[in-house]
Amino acid sequence: MSDIIFIGLSLSSILLLIALGLSITYGAMGVINMAHGELVMIGAYTAVLAGLHLNLNLFFALPLAFVTSGLAGLVIERLVIRRLYGRIIDTLLATWGVAILLQQLVRLEFGLSFLGIHVEGLGPGLQNMTVPGFLTQPFDIAGITIQPYRSFIIVVTLALTALTWWLMYRTPTGVQVRAIMRNPQIAAACGIDVRRVSALTFAYGSGLAGVAGVLLAGFKTVMPEMGAAVVIDGFLVVVVGGVGSLLGTLLSAAVLGQINGVFAILTNDILARAVVFGVVIALILWRPRGLFSFKSR
Amino acid sequence: MLTLSKVDSFYGRSQALHGVSAAARDGTIMAVLGRNGVGKTTLLRTILGLTDRSQGAIALDGEEIGGLATHARARAGIAYVPQGRMIIPDFTIRENILMGGFAAGGARRIPEIVPVLFPYLMENLDRPGGVLSGGQQQQLAIARALACEPKVLLMDEPTEGIQPNIVEQIENSIIRLNTELGLTILLVEQNVGFARRAAQDFVMLENGRSVASGPIDTLTDDTVAKHMAI
Repeated sequence: MSDIIFIGLSLSSILLLIALGLSITYGAMGVINMAHGELVMIGAYTAVLAGLHLNLNLFFALPLAFVTSGLAGLVIERLVIRRLYGRIIDTLLATWGVAILLQQLVRLEFGLSFLGIHVEGLGPGLQNMTVPGFLTQPFDIAGITIQPYRSFIIVVTLALTALTWWLMYRTPTGVQVRAIMRNPQIAAACGIDVRRVSALTFAYGSGLAGVAGVLLAGFKTVMPEMGAAVVIDGFLVVVVGGVGSLLGTLLSAAVLGQINGVFAILTNDILARAVVFGVVIALILWRPRGLFSFKSR
Repeated sequence: MLTLSKVDSFYGRSQALHGVSAAARDGTIMAVLGRNGVGKTTLLRTILGLTDRSQGAIALDGEEIGGLATHARARAGIAYVPQGRMIIPDFTIRENILMGGFAAGGARRIPEIVPVLFPYLMENLDRPGGVLSGGQQQQLAIARALACEPKVLLMDEPTEGIQPNIVEQIENSIIRLNTELGLTILLVEQNVGFARRAAQDFVMLENGRSVASGPIDTLTDDTVAKHMAI
């Protein structure tokens, strides 16, 4: 039973990293970023490419993916989202377009495949990231079998969640982000540069998605479409947890990931999905604004 | 000195201000008068760049600020006490006040005048802003604006919807901010009596246009009856 819970926890962790980014960007900017899953995908491909071409392992891939996805997020914010603030449906469509574009860029190897050039690790095929050997050997502590890679995922997520909490609640920039979430006009009237802070927030959330992509690449196949599935789970977590609530996102990721993990092992993946959706529907009917939410927007 | 010349302002396609000109001299209070819906709040919001679009010149101490983003105008020295106060309910009183500090140049701190004017706030710095009464929230909104270390304070009906015993206290604090700190204040006010007591100048709005302005002594009862009586 303990390893079932363990697998559930590691699923929760990845969900949490994805949802944290979505939650703070939606909370701070009112932007539903459909390309968030593709930022996860970019993170995963960063890990694959770094392994193949630079011979860098997982530990180097994590910060690298944070930067790559963060920069990609910054570019998306500058080119698309910044021009569409306050137009929620338009941003939804535009970022969906960006998502498709990013998938195609990877499939077509940034257009190089037209020129007959093949970049190892890109293209429409399936890719793998190799996990360092010592993270794949299970070991026993006090009779409990520990899966090192699953533990690693949980530790990285805990560290990044703590970092996010610290940034949001203990730094001046965090105060600015939270002020913008509550009331962007008053925030601006108090001298907060709403655009700059929003762009930084967006880049940070994108970076978290990139890290989630690397962790995901350790036990799932990396492919251009991988983002589409995870972004839906991310949105489920945000909706259940309450927009802009760190605690709500944390709890809802834990619960949904655990339900998914437990039911997948006891029955099968498809039934697990059905149970997760059922729980989400029930929770939304019970608390339409999510488990935790503050009044605003 | 805050000078507006021929300012137009828009929400979407509808024009809310038509060629309004006004000047608030340094260290004075200028009352912005008129009925509901004539553009008084819009005038304040336009000065901070919070409407959709505006034209004309807005200058602070001779520097044009009309083209700047809202946060840059706040940093240039304009602070806002909005209608409805707009306190952030789940921020503590301290966090609410210090929010204003992002517009001040250096470190964020609670201005020295705040404990003098509003001792209640100082004694409850760690309580959430949302639990305060209307009058206390108004004090908090003023304290937040003061933390911006402004040259000009924009105040939108600071005594509206506040229990009568606090109204006088707020009115006195406005006058003290003007006389003791030398703050220039643009005061949107429905209460002509207080406007006459506190302000040196006035501007009267009607349908988004300035219909009368000048020293407050020249505000006749006729003008008040014509543009403010319901």
